Amino acid sequence: MRGKLVLASIALALITAASAQTITFWHTYSTGSGEEQTLLEKVIPQFEAENPGITVEAVGFPYEEFRQKLLTAFAGGVVPDLVRMDIIWVPEFADMGALERLDDYDGFAALRDGVFPGPLATNYWDGGYYGLPLDTNTQVMLYNADVISQPPTTFDELEALATELSDPAAEVWAFSVPGPYAWYLLPWIWSNGGAITDDAITTATGYLNSDASVEAVEKLVDWYERGLIAPTLNNTGLGAWEGLGAGEYLATQDGPWAYPSITAQYQDLNLQHALFPAGPAGSISIVGGEDIVMFADSPNKEAAWKFVQFMLSPWAQITMASTGQIPVIQSALEDPYIVEHPYYGVYLQQLQTAKPRTPHPAYSRIETIIQDAVQRVLLGELEVREALDQAAAQVDELLK
Amino acid sequence: MARSSLAPTAGLAPRRPWWRVSAWKRGEYLAAAVFIAPGLIWFLGFMLYPLVYSFWMSLHDWKIRGPSEFVGLANYVRVFGDSVNLIALRNTVVYGVLSVPTQMFLGLMIALGLERLSRGKVLLRLIYYLPVISSWVVVSLMFMFLFNSEGLFNHVFGDVLGLVDPNTAWLNRASTAIPVIALLGVWKGLGWSMLIYLAALQGIPAELTEAARVDGANRAQVTRYVTVPLLKPTTLFIAVMLTIGAFQSFIQFYIITGGGPVHQTEVFLSYMYDQAFNFLDFGYASAIAWLLAALILAISLVQFRLIKSTYEY
Repeated sequence: MRGKLVLASIALALITAASAQTITFWHTYSTGSGEEQTLLEKVIPQFEAENPGITVEAVGFPYEEFRQKLLTAFAGGVVPDLVRMDIIWVPEFADMGALERLDDYDGFAALRDGVFPGPLATNYWDGGYYGLPLDTNTQVMLYNADVISQPPTTFDELEALATELSDPAAEVWAFSVPGPYAWYLLPWIWSNGGAITDDAITTATGYLNSDASVEAVEKLVDWYERGLIAPTLNNTGLGAWEGLGAGEYLATQDGPWAYPSITAQYQDLNLQHALFPAGPAGSISIVGGEDIVMFADSPNKEAAWKFVQFMLSPWAQITMASTGQIPVIQSALEDPYIVEHPYYGVYLQQLQTAKPRTPHPAYSRIETIIQDAVQRVLLGELEVREALDQAAAQVDELLK
Repeated sequence: MARSSLAPTAGLAPRRPWWRVSAWKRGEYLAAAVFIAPGLIWFLGFMLYPLVYSFWMSLHDWKIRGPSEFVGLANYVRVFGDSVNLIALRNTVVYGVLSVPTQMFLGLMIALGLERLSRGKVLLRLIYYLPVISSWVVVSLMFMFLFNSEGLFNHVFGDVLGLVDPNTAWLNRASTAIPVIALLGVWKGLGWSMLIYLAALQGIPAELTEAARVDGANRAQVTRYVTVPLLKPTTLFIAVMLTIGAFQSFIQFYIITGGGPVHQTEVFLSYMYDQAFNFLDFGYASAIAWLLAALILAISLVQFRLIKSTYEY
């Protein structure tokens, strides 16, 4: 009798489990921010209402720890069904065999054709697509419009403005490069005509250490040493956002999430957007953003695919756009929300010329090499050219 | 081992294989097994197994999924050829030399001072011990903000007192970052050596110090020639424990400098962590961990030798 009861309850549990699926979705939307709130209170409830029986469990992580969390999860074999990950990690995870190839899923072709080709390309690896873009972004210049009336449009104008306004003794700097990280350095290198590798990603020598790349880094280091730009370049001083809020920094470079976050904290700050200052090669910023990917080990692929499709629907894209997440579907561009948005226009214009980071499984290491090289220069260990020559040789090793 | 100690003495009872025991004994064994099991399972599952497994990993070019290639001792050879490990060794030694003796000396001074107090002893002991039980992460972040170029330290000692350049970036080079982290180590560890010294002071027989006083020694002389020599075993115990701690320091370095810029402030565990969890080079990281364990073992053995040869009681 008791045995039968146990069996019956197990059977019941199995049936409920089969009809009520829970998919886990890991992401890096800032905890407690508008992004996460909108996801949890609007987007997911809407999906669950449209798809009875499927529950979405969203788990947020800080960006800095996320890659390690994902790697550990993959190593341990306990993975989430879906992940919103930095576009630059997709080749690495696809290369490890962690991700599900999506080409043959129902409705994939329609989604593929509906998104911007640039962000889409970040999902392509080894002959197939291992994800779909979810949001896109780039960096533009943000400036304190109470002090800077006419934002600089070129490197030279920025230098002239900084010469006039920067005064380290009074703790005022006209511009803050937020840190010696590739994400912030690459727009300077590209705008100056430099590069990391050739287009086919076979060699860095002649690109990472080209005259244009060397000159770009020399310019930043020179500005830093002359006190024209903030100590943030050398990873010290107030953070870029805090410095803007405190009136110490008058401008910086950042993505579309910066404005809502900074102005929420410093309500008196008159923050405005402008294009990234142009170098000899133009105003060339960096493509950022996130892709939504499915783990190959996911036991809930069908339900997970439904959520992917939902997240790429115009409604979900526009809803998330209200929190600084620039949509990736072409049709959203004509939506009144985007058209009338106070600063998405600048970002969309900047995206026209923005470049992606090297789509290569070893990008995390390449990035470390570039950053180390610049830090060696800032430490006074090496000249820029020496440092980049060495870095290029190291990157070449990884590309072999 | 188990067999010889459990089997009855020869001649008194017929020799039985160890598994054929009386019901009563079996009950005893069962009870013993039940008591030992939780600790044993924990030890086997969470200590021995990872230990052996990490050694196995250190012999491979370890892939987190799929087959790993056996490379023998190649990872160990790499450790010796990698200059970052030399930097880590240098930083660890500097950190240890700066923080270990300071902690011991100040801990002893405070313990001696507290011993003489008649009031407020408990409160002061609590205050000195508080940093020991506070979280490494929290105090590391605190020091990071204090020693930021725009931090409180530069404000007070630079802007106000004019003793240092107010724009000094303390955490950006090893020569200043390691002393700052050692200062944190001293501040946080002080209470622990104080507590051990206080306990040891209780164990010194009052007759010895009284006899010295009767012989005409003043307080300083009693401390210098009686108390401190009698504390020698404690001193060496603290030295061993703190040295092991210094070689294993991780959180404070990982949070405050992350080993950077360009590995300049790296210590063994921060470098190992990066190799494992950033670059997925688990084989190499395991080799670093095993060599570090061997190094700590060697240093501890030397220190234990010292304890033996200078035992005073």
